[in-house]
Amino acid sequence: MHMADALVAPVVAGTMYACSGAAMGYSMKKVRLENAPEKIPVMGVMGAFVFAAQMINFTIPGTGSSGHLCGGMLLSAVLGPEAGFLSMIGVLLVQCLLFADGGLLALGCNVWNMAFYGCFVGALVIWKHFMKKGMSRKKIMAASVLGCMLTLQMGAFSVTLETLASGITELPFGIFVSVMQPIHLAIGLVEGLITAAVLVFIYEARPELLWGYNAQGPEGARKPKMSYKRTIAVLVIAAAVTGGLVSLAASSHPDGLEWSMEQVAGTAELETEGSAYALAGEILETTAILPDYAWKSSESPTGTTFSGIFGGAVVILLSVTGCYILRFFKGRSVKHE
Amino acid sequence: MNRLQKAVKDIHTVDAKEAGRKGQSKVHPLSRLAVTVLYILLTVSFPKYDLGGIGAMVVYLLITGIWEEISFREALGRIWPVLLLAGAVGIANPFVDRKVCWESGSLAVTYGMVSMVTLMLKGIFSVMASYLLIMTVGMEGICSSLRVLHVPKEFVTILLLMHRYLIVLLKEAERMMQAYRLRAPGQKGIHVNAWGAFAGQLLLRSVDRAQTVYESMLLRGYTGEIIGKRPVGKRGISIGYAVSWTLVLAGIRILPVFQMVGSLF
Amino acid sequence: MDDIKIEDLTFAYSNKIEVLHHISFAVDKGEAVGLIGANGAGKSTLLKLLVGLAEGYQGSIILGGLGVEKKNLAQIRAKAGYVFQDSESQLFLSTVYEDVAFGPRNYGYTEEEVEGRVMEALRKMHIEGLKDRQIYRMSGGQKKLASIATILSLEPEVMLLDEPSIALDPKNRRTLIHILNGIKETKVIASHDLDMVWDICERTILLSDGRVIKDGKTREILMDKELLEANGLELPLSMQRQYI
Repeated sequence: MHMADALVAPVVAGTMYACSGAAMGYSMKKVRLENAPEKIPVMGVMGAFVFAAQMINFTIPGTGSSGHLCGGMLLSAVLGPEAGFLSMIGVLLVQCLLFADGGLLALGCNVWNMAFYGCFVGALVIWKHFMKKGMSRKKIMAASVLGCMLTLQMGAFSVTLETLASGITELPFGIFVSVMQPIHLAIGLVEGLITAAVLVFIYEARPELLWGYNAQGPEGARKPKMSYKRTIAVLVIAAAVTGGLVSLAASSHPDGLEWSMEQVAGTAELETEGSAYALAGEILETTAILPDYAWKSSESPTGTTFSGIFGGAVVILLSVTGCYILRFFKGRSVKHE
Repeated sequence: MNRLQKAVKDIHTVDAKEAGRKGQSKVHPLSRLAVTVLYILLTVSFPKYDLGGIGAMVVYLLITGIWEEISFREALGRIWPVLLLAGAVGIANPFVDRKVCWESGSLAVTYGMVSMVTLMLKGIFSVMASYLLIMTVGMEGICSSLRVLHVPKEFVTILLLMHRYLIVLLKEAERMMQAYRLRAPGQKGIHVNAWGAFAGQLLLRSVDRAQTVYESMLLRGYTGEIIGKRPVGKRGISIGYAVSWTLVLAGIRILPVFQMVGSLF
Repeated sequence: MDDIKIEDLTFAYSNKIEVLHHISFAVDKGEAVGLIGANGAGKSTLLKLLVGLAEGYQGSIILGGLGVEKKNLAQIRAKAGYVFQDSESQLFLSTVYEDVAFGPRNYGYTEEEVEGRVMEALRKMHIEGLKDRQIYRMSGGQKKLASIATILSLEPEVMLLDEPSIALDPKNRRTLIHILNGIKETKVIASHDLDMVWDICERTILLSDGRVIKDGKTREILMDKELLEANGLELPLSMQRQYI
């Protein structure tokens, strides 16, 4: 579900960076308030764990395919939502830099779609609600499956919105949504089951590691600082604000939805049309011997296109050879030093 | 090669590049990070039919790649996922946006096709730019840039530890997979009965390791921040690097460079 | 003067099971002491208590003239270097240099001083060549030497080593013994590797079930077959050969 840089318009990316950044600032504040420095290394190593664990293939019974576990939910169930969220941001940053999953620009979106819902909705709302009166195997299973499915649905829906707001696809909203949601319903179920299996194992081996576990039972449990109702209220407000920001960004941005509708209707800018011929020319060049080509629009002389291709070749050739020559001298000067 | 092995190999590639680097770069990692972000921003902001304009952005990739001696083959190995993704999202474009911009006999190129190719190029270029960044500054360069940008020190510590133990845990998971496969021939993944125990064991070990790591940090005077070696980037060169690339990239974004050069001849 | 002085130390983890009972001994400056005993005898716990990694003991522990308690921990940890059994966890940064420099940097030395200390520590361990090596690319032996270097860069007065020879091949083990013999600081080595204790420590303390069973000259304790076997240990291999 990682979004790539190419799928987000800068305005959408910026908006999502702002939202994710705010959530990160809040989490950082909460984690500092906890004043548990021993948690920092756990957050780092657990992030690495989630990364490695997501590479493990779990066979889905009855099918030939395999699933993976859900990082946000798992991290929060061990570290708590805020610390889990910070770890998850680290995971997503490493994924985009070292493994080209996602991208620097799309990071804000990915943090929101995967980490925010997984950690805050999954843990703060669902997990906390289920574990209010003590933990049990069944509750862990139910919370994990429900949490994963719900947060993945929210994530998938956000992906759809962000992609459409960025105006890079001609897919109509209805089709996009009807493809994204059911697929992620199935994925969410599998991820939820795998996550549940892992958490149940932890519950049986070392229950004290789980967030919200209390050996003395519910009576001895620390009273949560924020009530369940308030948590929900805050999340609803956060969602509303985010939604508002995204739609604002989408409507004010020329690359937004409406604009792409105009494009379809055929009111494209001339300037961009001109460049499009460059492509046509390139295709022409690669397919070389097409005899009677014809330009649809006569305003743009074929000469321009060919000069564009030729110019491109010259620029690329110059920069490549120039670079090689300079590098040659760089290598020599290093040796002489 | 399975996913675990491939991940280990990818990290090795980045680290080998870092280890092979002779001396410190004169350009501060933050400069490179800024240029990379600007590059990606400008690339994705091209109008969807402006293929020629986007094409010119390749210049940055070529120059950086050659100058830093980064293998393009390795870099190209990373673009398949994004190509697939961009292809899947853009696949509707040729069907919806059917206005023809060029045709030859029965062959016609529509605006939809152009926008799909443009989208794929945007994907490839931005992935390549990120790859060049990590290959030139390494994870530690990223972390020190983040510190300069006032990202909280706790978060940077988390990142450093994550990067350090990533490969340790990947290899541990791979060893567990091997041990599993040896006793469960013919299974491609982990059987449902072992789902919890397999990843759970790894999790417990990770938590214990984190505990020891913390003790080890504590015993050596840790007070909340891992103080790293400051990158010795020269101020003037770093600023010069950022400014000149900004000008070049902005130039490419605004002017149809390819056509202009071509019309000179 | 004593570097370590323990009097009537009793300790239990939070699960209330006592791990150490009424332990008393002292270690002189420059002494090398072997702490031997079967698995679960309490060796590691004892070492951890010395640097304040476990809290809530009864009795008294004095290290370098300071009582091991919360307010003294920073000073105590500057005096005592602790080498963990698992080098992979001890070395948590990506390269050897960065990791060895971690301690000195935290104590606020300038970058030049840090470099001097790092290079000196690496030289003592004979691993100057591994300065810029990625840690996960090193062998177990190299990692062990590097993790001792991370302690030496803080120039400790007392070194506490937990199973230093575990998972080392014979050659690396030999190198380690040679290097440790060259270090003049006070050393306490917890180990099952009795041959190594024989080669490094002039004095040995035998623990069993959290009690000091015997405290005396290494040569006497390690040649006492009955004593060792009664406490879950065996004669050092080099001794066994002589018996045959």
